Amino acid sequence: MIWFLTIVLPLLAAIITAYLPTGRRGSGIIFAGATLPALWLGLVDVPGVTAHWFLLESHFSLDTPRQIILLLTGILWATSGLFAGSYLKDDVRKGEFSFYFGASMAGNFGLLISAEVAAFYTFFALMTFASYGLVIHSRTPSARHAARIYLVMAIIGELFLITALYLAVQSSESMLLASIPPALAKDPNGPFIFLLGLIGFGVKVGAIPLYFWLPLAHPAAPAPASAVLSGAMIKAGLVGWMNLAPVGLVEWPSLSILMVSLGFTAALGAAIFGLTQIDPKTNLAYSSISQMGIMTVLLGIGLYGGIPAGLLLPAIALYAFNHGTAKALLFMGTALPAKVGGYWRILMWAGLGVGVLAIAGGPLTGGLWTKYMVKTFLGETSLPGAQTFLLLLTISAVTTTLLLSRFLHLLHKIKAPSENMAPPFLLPWILLLLAGGWWTMSTTLLPTELMNYITKEKGIMAFFWNLPTNWASLWPITLGVILMALSLKISTLNKWSLKKPLLPAGDFLIIILMAGSLLAKLLLKGITLLESGTKSLQGPEKLFYRISDDKRASQISASAESMLRRWDVVGIGFFIFFLTMFILLR
Amino acid sequence: METTSFLPLLILISSLIPGILILLLREEQAVLRTFLNIFGAVAKVGLIAWVFAGYLRGEEYTFVFNLALDLTFTLRVDQLGLLFASLSSVLWLVTTLYAIGYLEGGQHRRRFFAFFSFCVTASTGIALSGNVLTFFIFYEFLTLSTYPLVVHRGTDKAVEAGRTYLWYTIGGGTVLFLGVVGLFVVAGPIYFGQTEIIAGLISEYTTQLTILFFLMLTGLAVKAAIFPLHGWLPVSMVAPAPVSALLHAVAVVKAGAFGIVRLVYDVYGIGIAEQMNFLSVLAVFAAFTIIYGSVRALFQDDFKKRLAFSTVSQLSYIALGVAIPGVLTSTGAIVHLVHQGIMKITMFFTAGNIAETYGYHKISQLNGIGRRMPLTMGAFTIAAFGMIGLPPVAGFISKWYLGLGAVEAGSYWVVFVLLVSSALNAAYFLPIVYRAWFCEPEQEVVSQLRSGRLETQALLLIPVVVTGLLSLAAGVFAATAGSPLSIAREIAEKLYLL
Repeated sequence: MIWFLTIVLPLLAAIITAYLPTGRRGSGIIFAGATLPALWLGLVDVPGVTAHWFLLESHFSLDTPRQIILLLTGILWATSGLFAGSYLKDDVRKGEFSFYFGASMAGNFGLLISAEVAAFYTFFALMTFASYGLVIHSRTPSARHAARIYLVMAIIGELFLITALYLAVQSSESMLLASIPPALAKDPNGPFIFLLGLIGFGVKVGAIPLYFWLPLAHPAAPAPASAVLSGAMIKAGLVGWMNLAPVGLVEWPSLSILMVSLGFTAALGAAIFGLTQIDPKTNLAYSSISQMGIMTVLLGIGLYGGIPAGLLLPAIALYAFNHGTAKALLFMGTALPAKVGGYWRILMWAGLGVGVLAIAGGPLTGGLWTKYMVKTFLGETSLPGAQTFLLLLTISAVTTTLLLSRFLHLLHKIKAPSENMAPPFLLPWILLLLAGGWWTMSTTLLPTELMNYITKEKGIMAFFWNLPTNWASLWPITLGVILMALSLKISTLNKWSLKKPLLPAGDFLIIILMAGSLLAKLLLKGITLLESGTKSLQGPEKLFYRISDDKRASQISASAESMLRRWDVVGIGFFIFFLTMFILLR
Repeated sequence: METTSFLPLLILISSLIPGILILLLREEQAVLRTFLNIFGAVAKVGLIAWVFAGYLRGEEYTFVFNLALDLTFTLRVDQLGLLFASLSSVLWLVTTLYAIGYLEGGQHRRRFFAFFSFCVTASTGIALSGNVLTFFIFYEFLTLSTYPLVVHRGTDKAVEAGRTYLWYTIGGGTVLFLGVVGLFVVAGPIYFGQTEIIAGLISEYTTQLTILFFLMLTGLAVKAAIFPLHGWLPVSMVAPAPVSALLHAVAVVKAGAFGIVRLVYDVYGIGIAEQMNFLSVLAVFAAFTIIYGSVRALFQDDFKKRLAFSTVSQLSYIALGVAIPGVLTSTGAIVHLVHQGIMKITMFFTAGNIAETYGYHKISQLNGIGRRMPLTMGAFTIAAFGMIGLPPVAGFISKWYLGLGAVEAGSYWVVFVLLVSSALNAAYFLPIVYRAWFCEPEQEVVSQLRSGRLETQALLLIPVVVTGLLSLAAGVFAATAGSPLSIAREIAEKLYLL
């Protein structure tokens, strides 16, 4: 029963809150209430169920990594739901927002508790398409642009995904997700199928080179929606990867090296590129890409073999937990500086500081041990160049600190209200701070086996107070902060622009758009050539009757032209072209 | 043979008699006409449910009438036929309600409803035909009974479209006739399911049977709108919305697709068709039609025309599923007979509602229509997602089985076709959804052509909501016993057991 409520309550909440008029309270409480079954499932082990009537016979159950992520997801949706309830209370499109918010929530919970392919794909699609409504919420031209690119990329992702699932189901001869990794491990086509999934889910994760929609779309949504997009929904792609990856069962060196190198490129590249941005939310979006890069690295070393899935996957989930709570905290935090005044600002800055430290892996935060886990695994892997990776990881701590201190600097520039005040949505923000802090710093979520593995059986507290570990995590952060402070203080180094980003957000997109418009021009030429050719011949429709409307041909070419100029068409053209090439070359 | 049962005949009569009676009525007797219509529709649904229940208990229903030596008029109930008959009867009931609302105060309603009834009699007849000859009779009866519906408006354009329609369908009928007669000469009378007859003759009459297969296939392909025989379909969308809805969802196009299913599975048999390489030809044409229809749909601004080209594309999923041998693809093909019907009828109802309520016919006029007609557009959105193949709507189930079956059969190119088609479906349906929900309307206040307390008249609104919910339910409850999928799976499993 609780399994169905997990999905049904958010859907009901979506419908009920959609009818609450603008200005009315209550939607926050309704959303928070709808997350209760998910929170319960995240904390308590409940035996799985089979729904014989649903889709193609669905199973719902959880394993340790997905349970950790479900808890994260539940916390984020509950707090951002409460946040949204008062933050968007007077928004003209509050009803629409609530509908898409609730539907995305249902999809997000559903995909985490599904243990079977069709249900998983269903909820993944529900989340993807419902969150389109969150991205486009403000209806500004830039939001529409972001939403369009989001949608095109999402559809491309879905197509890769469904292909991967067809092949995976055929290979494992079962609809259960759990049977896919062992089947891929045995199948000679396994790496290829996994690669398709890597691309399909990679769109959601924001993996290089599929990430470019993310810095446009995540910041376009209202703050609480950005928080769940970047904190919870982005993890759905990661969960998808973990569902497919035969960690510990295979040795796929090429895929492993591919993932590790793409991961580090994202970790460092996105953090550095993010520095050029002036919108704090865009900064955070780049930081998300960077952090997802570290998780990509972790999964990548799992495909090299030697590390059991039972250790690695919960570790990835815990890393995601820490990042998710902290990132959501910061995203919602972007709405605070303009509204929080007086003494409350001390609390606000303290909270933001903790969030930044947690992401950068600072001392005494959850980030400390999640990053330490990454180090442990990197140190143990037999992957060539593991020492370099440790160095890269340390550098990424510096770049992350730079990026996030730039973020704090940008927030600092927002004009503060003069009187002592706190908006009602400060409360859910503090709740998130407490919840995230409690679960990332306590041992409740840490599986015993994993804890023994990383702390060498000394217990978590000994680990937290261990001076060398804290020092190892502290100095890159200090370095980053000093660098940022120096560059701000010394005027010759202070090149930070606050008016215009140095480089446009979505960088890689520009290249694609240019290539796309070139391709569109070529296609247009081809079409005009073809049309002039077929005009003399009789088109297939003309076999039996003569066309009454002579203008039709010219109309078609005119509409073809305007359609082809639109870049979502181009994107699909790209996809077709890519797949053709792929099949030809295979 | 089995004992004769009049039940199948009764199913046909339940719409034939109201049709004849309506012709005898006067134009003004609207109440009586409506009563007859609804009575017939409800009776048909009831009878089919009755027969279905009986069939599940293991009873057999056959009606045989000797026309001449060896020529029999046979109605027989089997699972595939029942599936199709249930689809047509249920959608007929819904469409009748819709048509009553749609044509309120219109001209020539007597003629319209009479032929509407005949049309459904014909499509149920096709469903329940027990042999090739009976099938052919109803197939032609369908052509003739739909013509008055296509030209119903009586405008020049409608008459022109009607002429095109007749050209194609009579041409197709002639070719089919040649095939049917030829088959009779070579193989004698063939009851559906007696695939052993052809199997026994194939080595002796290889050339003849090959030619006959393609003659019949061509005849059927006209109604199934397979490229390059699809030209009539986009033209005949000038018909009133309920007619287009029925034409595109069950009556005409499905007769063609259903005929192909019967021809391959129940006359030649899947084994022979595969062995003789008939199927690969069909597969290539179907695949091409899927892509072609979608590409053409991209460039239509007329709402109904875009839907019409989409039908061209979607129908070939059925043909493609038939053309790839395997339990999964067959399941996909058979279940898509039903799924495409309920999704497409929803879309045509939507187009009709918008045209009747606001007078909009073009997609570019639909900005912000979602706020004015939330339920109608909600149903449309469900259907559009289904057409793209997104879960949990019915279309996903069809596509899942087709794709999985193609992978199983090793036909990876079919997966590719399905993907491209999904991308194209998204490219031409999502802009409509986008305009409806995310664009601001150009004018704040627009006068309604038909006002009601709801977003439009109740009789126009209820059918679209019902079929929209059916499209969703067919997907969400696909694993439930009695769902279209479970029936299709049983049929497909039986096919490959033999």
